[in-house]
Amino acid sequence: MLRETWSLTVREMKHWYRVKIQVFMTLIQPIVWLGLFGQAFNFGTFLPPSQIPLIFSGAPDYFSFMALGMLAVNALFTCMFSGMSIVWDRRFGFLNKLKVAPIPRGAVPLSRIMATVVRSLIQVSIVLVIALAFAYIPGLTGLTLKAGFSVTDLLGMFFVLFLLSVAFSAMFTTVALAVENQETLFGLINLLNLPLMFASAALFPTAMMPDWLRGIAEYNPLTWTADALRQFAFVDTAPIHDLWFDIIGLVAIAALLLGISAFVSRKLLSNR
Amino acid sequence: MSAIVEVENLTKRFSEDVLAVDDISFSVEEGEIFGFLGPNGAGKSTTINMLTTLLKPTGGKALVAGLDIDKQQDEVRHVIGLVPQDLTVDDELSGRENMYLQADLYNVPRGEAKTRIEDLLKLVNLEDAADRRVKTYSGGMRKRLELAEGLIHRPQVLFLDEPTLGLDIQTRTAIWEYIRDLKKNNVITVFLTTHYLEEADGLCDRVAIIDHGKIVALDTPENLKHSVGGDVISLEVTSEKDLTEDLKRVPGVMDARKEDGQYRIKAANGEELTPVVLKAVWDQGAVVTSVNLAHPTLDQAFLEYTGRSMRDAEQTGNYDKVAASRRARRMH
Repeated sequence: MLRETWSLTVREMKHWYRVKIQVFMTLIQPIVWLGLFGQAFNFGTFLPPSQIPLIFSGAPDYFSFMALGMLAVNALFTCMFSGMSIVWDRRFGFLNKLKVAPIPRGAVPLSRIMATVVRSLIQVSIVLVIALAFAYIPGLTGLTLKAGFSVTDLLGMFFVLFLLSVAFSAMFTTVALAVENQETLFGLINLLNLPLMFASAALFPTAMMPDWLRGIAEYNPLTWTADALRQFAFVDTAPIHDLWFDIIGLVAIAALLLGISAFVSRKLLSNR
Repeated sequence: MSAIVEVENLTKRFSEDVLAVDDISFSVEEGEIFGFLGPNGAGKSTTINMLTTLLKPTGGKALVAGLDIDKQQDEVRHVIGLVPQDLTVDDELSGRENMYLQADLYNVPRGEAKTRIEDLLKLVNLEDAADRRVKTYSGGMRKRLELAEGLIHRPQVLFLDEPTLGLDIQTRTAIWEYIRDLKKNNVITVFLTTHYLEEADGLCDRVAIIDHGKIVALDTPENLKHSVGGDVISLEVTSEKDLTEDLKRVPGVMDARKEDGQYRIKAANGEELTPVVLKAVWDQGAVVTSVNLAHPTLDQAFLEYTGRSMRDAEQTGNYDKVAASRRARRMH
């Protein structure tokens, strides 16, 4: 199980870093989001200063609030393409080669999930560094962490981002296993992607949402992730959920989606 | 010699009106090169896909090296190699990386894998290009790499689905040489599908002709050619009338039928009979516009058994259905 899964994971990674434009996009995308979206929507300036930490989960400004949400959103963006290679492999017949090989069927999705999680964590590291670096650029707002921010907090942040990446890459890999072509996959990605992003506390405080939307957003894994990240990064966060609720929720959803992925691959990659 | 592939009443029905493989039975002896010959859409790839655990049979059973292709899928996968019709080597990896990936998929011991990979790359003359990305390879090089990949785990049965489709004649000849060498130096059974008649003729120990999902003939290429029973005279005739019956009455004519506006006349001795046949046509007041005399080839045998030229096979409605269904299947 390990050898072929690892070998296929390495293949995925080679596909990624050998296509230079993809690596370039990985760098440029966070800059665009943080630099344009984050700076333009820095609407905290319109609020009375005393209310800012209350609304923004302890963040000193909207950019800091949003930058942590951006970590989760970027993980989502990386993960939503995790099944893309399955669609290509199917088109070029490589998937049949895997189906004929005496490997556990689960190795096919698991290798994509592993490679995507690695890419996702690289991507969020870049987002984090850029968000912090903005503080040193005149005219830009940067990410301001709490005074006593520690390595433990940082590891905690990466742990929840890891869980989120596992969950979302498993979900999108399963979707790719089930669809027949890339058009359908793109459609489904868009269908899932935007509601997940906007019906969450990642980019906007749930406090500002209407009740029905807040009700949905509170049970979105992106919200759990952003909520947990803010609890690690800021003080007096007035969290949406308890930190443990967020983490256990993420563990559960990641395990569930991994399980579904393994189950679906056994069904769809056996002879039919 | 014993049978290494045993197929009994194997059937694959894709849908109500698409029956791709219709109740076929045959066996392949250990160590032989067995050819599956048929027009496009005849059911060749469907059969190979069932035998290689890609498709589930809707009826019948098949054993490969004594293992049930449906109930012992994983065991079957260990003993077979497949060189698929499509080029499936990975473009972004080098030839050698592709080989190592394959070795990992088949869990070939690491030390062993290195030796085998070097040997196989040498066998298919790719050692110089081994570290180049596959996307720089020509079609022939890709196919050779594909062949080498199929051999990495020393399979007992190697399945080749249209191994020379779309290759130039030099590469095609080279591939045939590799397959012959393989058989000479190893205990391996080769099961190949093709619609190139000369490929089946020159390479295979035995050939099954499959059409409309059924095996219509199975024998050595020699016997198949022999069974056609003589020469074939083809005539193109300008005539309102169907001359088939008149031609059948000519002494010496074994059989006559009309296909694609041509009369195909079977005779033991074509040279002597041609003038007689021509006279018979003229006597009917028809004009002969073209004459062709052919001695038996596998081509002829094929046409005798399948009753149409392969080119035309692609244009019949049935082909489209089966092929469309097969394409749809391949997506899964």
